Amino acid sequence: MVHALEEIHRLLKPNGFLIDIHPVAEHSTIEIHQNGKINLVGDLKVHQWCIDFAEADKALVEITRRGTFTVEQKGNFDTLTYYDSATEMNTALKESIHKYVREGEPVDEEVSHVEKLAAQADGLLQTAGGEAKLVLREKDQISRLKPM
Amino acid sequence: MSILDPEKNELRALFEFADFKDKHVLEIGCGDGRLTWHYADKAAHVTAIEPSPEQVAAAKENIPDTLQGKVEFHAATLEEFAAKSAPSIFDLIILSYSLC
Repeated sequence: MVHALEEIHRLLKPNGFLIDIHPVAEHSTIEIHQNGKINLVGDLKVHQWCIDFAEADKALVEITRRGTFTVEQKGNFDTLTYYDSATEMNTALKESIHKYVREGEPVDEEVSHVEKLAAQADGLLQTAGGEAKLVLREKDQISRLKPM
Repeated sequence: MSILDPEKNELRALFEFADFKDKHVLEIGCGDGRLTWHYADKAAHVTAIEPSPEQVAAAKENIPDTLQGKVEFHAATLEEFAAKSAPSIFDLIILSYSLC
């Protein structure tokens, strides 16, 4: 990642800038939204199995420590994904686990956790009625970096 | 079918952090152009790279008529693209979900 940032530095004009957007691993949650209220179904615990998003943070820290870039601006926002059903969410999240799991990491526990969350969400959706929406909330970080 | 970010929080943050006017932009990991379509009209030119040839094919197929000639896609990693590129050619580089 640090090497990638050095390549980017070479491609940028001296007065140019880099925008980095990446997920923050903690607190990716499954929620039910209904009538302006948010009910938490559970935490995906992404940080326990996913390719380490924290590595992106470490790379940014390292590249600024080396003086290659300086951080001009930093912020956070939420990205929400709306699913038609718990089954759809279950399938999508299991695909994500297999795509982004750390190499060599067993996935049985994570898959089981997602299936449990999907079952809970399905139950809540059926109780809640037609207006309820099933939502995955992920936290993202955005940074603007200036080459030095 | 799932809907990603209908609130457009990512775009809002992007436009808050970057002015695209007259900029030569490189987007790394553009996927199927999901983000590209929303800012390319404001830029002078966009080069969008993506390692997956399938995603690049989808992006090329979906490019809006208004952006023809303004956006070019390459199926390449950053390393492959950088090896063939001259230095200091972009005003703005976007790494969206690609630094991890």
